[in-house]
Amino acid sequence: MQPSRRRLNAGLATAAALVGATLMLSGCAADSTGASKPSSSGASHVKITLTNDGSADTCALDHTSAPAGPITFTVDNKSATGITEVELQSDQRILGEKENLAPGLAPVSFTLTLGGGKYTVYCPGADKENVAFTVTGKAAAAKTGSVQTLLKQGSKDYAGYVDDQIAGMVQGVAALKSAIDSGDVAAAQKAYGQARPFYERIESDVDGFVLPGTKANDNAGNLDYLIDMRASNLDEKVGWHGFHAIERDLWQGGAITDDTKQLAAELQTNVGKLADLAKGLDYKPEDLANGAAGLLEEVQSEKIKGEEEAFSDIDLVDFAANVEGSQQAFEYLKPGLTKIDPALTKQISAQFDKVNALLDTYRDPSAIGGYTTYTPQLRASDASTLSRAVQALQDPLSRLAEKVATAQ
Amino acid sequence: MTDGSQDPTARDASPRREQLSRRGLFAAGAGGLAAGALAGVGGTLAAQALLPKDQGDAVDASRSYPFYGGGHQAGIRTEPQRHCVYMTFDVDAGSTAADLQSLLARWSAGIAQLMKGRPVGLVEPPRSGAVAQDTGEAADLGPNALTVTLGLGPGVFDHRFGLAAKRPRLLRPLPALPSDNLQDGLTGGDLSLQACAEDPQVAYHAVRDLARMGRGTVSTRWTVMGFGRASAGPDQATPRNLMGFKDGTRNIRSDDEFREFVWLGDDADWMSGGSYQVARKIQMDIEIWDADEIGDQQTVFGRSKSEGAPLTGTREFDTPDFRKTSHGEHVIAPNAHIALAAHENNGGVKILRRSYNYTDGINQYGQLDAGLLFIAYMNDPGHFVRLQTRLGSYDRLNEYISHIGSAVFAVPPAPEPGHFLAERLFS
Repeated sequence: MQPSRRRLNAGLATAAALVGATLMLSGCAADSTGASKPSSSGASHVKITLTNDGSADTCALDHTSAPAGPITFTVDNKSATGITEVELQSDQRILGEKENLAPGLAPVSFTLTLGGGKYTVYCPGADKENVAFTVTGKAAAAKTGSVQTLLKQGSKDYAGYVDDQIAGMVQGVAALKSAIDSGDVAAAQKAYGQARPFYERIESDVDGFVLPGTKANDNAGNLDYLIDMRASNLDEKVGWHGFHAIERDLWQGGAITDDTKQLAAELQTNVGKLADLAKGLDYKPEDLANGAAGLLEEVQSEKIKGEEEAFSDIDLVDFAANVEGSQQAFEYLKPGLTKIDPALTKQISAQFDKVNALLDTYRDPSAIGGYTTYTPQLRASDASTLSRAVQALQDPLSRLAEKVATAQ
Repeated sequence: MTDGSQDPTARDASPRREQLSRRGLFAAGAGGLAAGALAGVGGTLAAQALLPKDQGDAVDASRSYPFYGGGHQAGIRTEPQRHCVYMTFDVDAGSTAADLQSLLARWSAGIAQLMKGRPVGLVEPPRSGAVAQDTGEAADLGPNALTVTLGLGPGVFDHRFGLAAKRPRLLRPLPALPSDNLQDGLTGGDLSLQACAEDPQVAYHAVRDLARMGRGTVSTRWTVMGFGRASAGPDQATPRNLMGFKDGTRNIRSDDEFREFVWLGDDADWMSGGSYQVARKIQMDIEIWDADEIGDQQTVFGRSKSEGAPLTGTREFDTPDFRKTSHGEHVIAPNAHIALAAHENNGGVKILRRSYNYTDGINQYGQLDAGLLFIAYMNDPGHFVRLQTRLGSYDRLNEYISHIGSAVFAVPPAPEPGHFLAERLFS
């Protein structure tokens, strides 16, 4: 059900170009004033050295200014155990960073092309966390921001993905309804397993799945409640509707009653409403990032424990769909993310690969939904392996929202 | 639970002077053999100096140990803190040598922070969308004498990371041992962390945040939370295991013994100054033991329960006489725990024990699930194998205990400032 959404209030207030400060034009020469000079390659070099002076961790720059153009920052953690990352910021936005710093590792570098203006080297954990850094020369043109453009395009495309999933859900639920109407339990169970993944891939977006004019806490207008509520969290006033009420009839009862047919008809109506509603939904890049993380929280809090599909035990079908939906959201952000934090992007991709490889071992074409039934026995033996793999993905993924919100 | 080490009445007492004199107060009060030995050695020391330092049972939350330098990792010779969380990890499939190197560097920096009582990153980052690096539950508790000791399992040196040539010479999985009753999920691991502190929350926080730091490179394998020390260190009164008996009376204490039995020498290349760690989870049948008569309990151990004296003596630090007989039978049965574990009966072999009591609640049979997290350090795991082969075969205690978990690790030396644990593996 409803994933806990972590809301970002990262102030996007300073929408103005981040490097708008007016600066004197000067030549590209920098000299004995603490400025870095461009090397023969055209890039200036700035060394950021992290040390522990016996009591505190410090963050020091060999040059506090450089001429506009490409600038390479090299971070060397000599002995500062309390500093694990360094960022170059402008107006609270992260332009470049290095993480996983530790004494004993080789220095690491990142290169940015910077226009004239005031910047900050942020060393969280240092006794003086913010060190001013000035770029002299021409201010960069007010940017439309290529990263922002990429992220926004990705978010727009993601809306199309959501629409596709809902279209698939409309078809899947229609097939489920006709199987139920025909009274064929086995066919209905199969159709149930085929319809479920469409919802599970996008259930991170449920905040928008509310009928217009619905008051907060009124579940009668909450399509997520009406479509996907489980027995454990029922609202007595509104009653039980949707997939899981049908699941109970098909597996626990093992019979199709008039009530089951009524539930299927309602589900079809509500999924139709969702399809109409979703066409008008827009997503911000941080919605995708939060959604990707939220789907994994769903896996960890419900599927891994077998609580989502309590009667059918097809939790691995939902598990795989959550992971797929999470990866899709990530993939739509990826072109922009790669520019923001290539190392993190690569790490997340690699962890998705691992989770998918693990999930592949549970594929079973003959099982409902295409994955092995998640029996209590299987849960007892395999849950910890599955959970650990998701955890290793969830940790880096949970850091995306901040990256996206603070991108230039 | 083995008992192979020190003889406090050894004739060549000079290297053990400190240790002898510490014990002296008890021995002198009781008279007898040990008091006689003491008189020539520590008799001039003031009685005050002879008291174990922790006799008042005070805890200093601000106490901290250095992580860097000193040759040996902390948490081995360090006098045992009251609590300990032990966890092992597997390196994930697909992780590379570079991933392992990065983790060891980040863990080292993190451990250095934690041992100073500092967080491993921001507890409350300024940006509300950020995820905190330190989980925060130890924020106001102080260092509490925390030590975190890292071990490298045999798996680190298999084909995966190209480190086979650097394998510590004596590191290999322990062989199957008599009476082993090992359970899946309680054995082995590529890495181990032993986090001990005076405050259990400080110890747990350390392991939790280090495990978190490792996610994506390593996964947790098994863990034991020890809640009370069950081996004496220098300057400590001998603590008791959950069977109610003093444990560690004859533990290793002197510099010479550490040199001879614990630390790896200069010939160990990058492991010089390191050691080997053996961890065993030993389950006790508590209810059955509790119903055993006192006479039998004492026969099983070979010691008295309250004083902890060998059955051939009257005071805890009296040297057991394994040859003494009464009515034609050994006073200390040859299969008593201390007889089988004693260095006199094992070719002089000693190991450093640094164990903790543990409980896992109530088992599936409705019995108390508890025992001993046995941790020992030695410069040759073969020494443990030798001792446990005898104990596992003959120990009267086997009726009440079961070795259910087991692992062996190489413990690299401490890094110097600016470096990290096992850095030389990657050079």
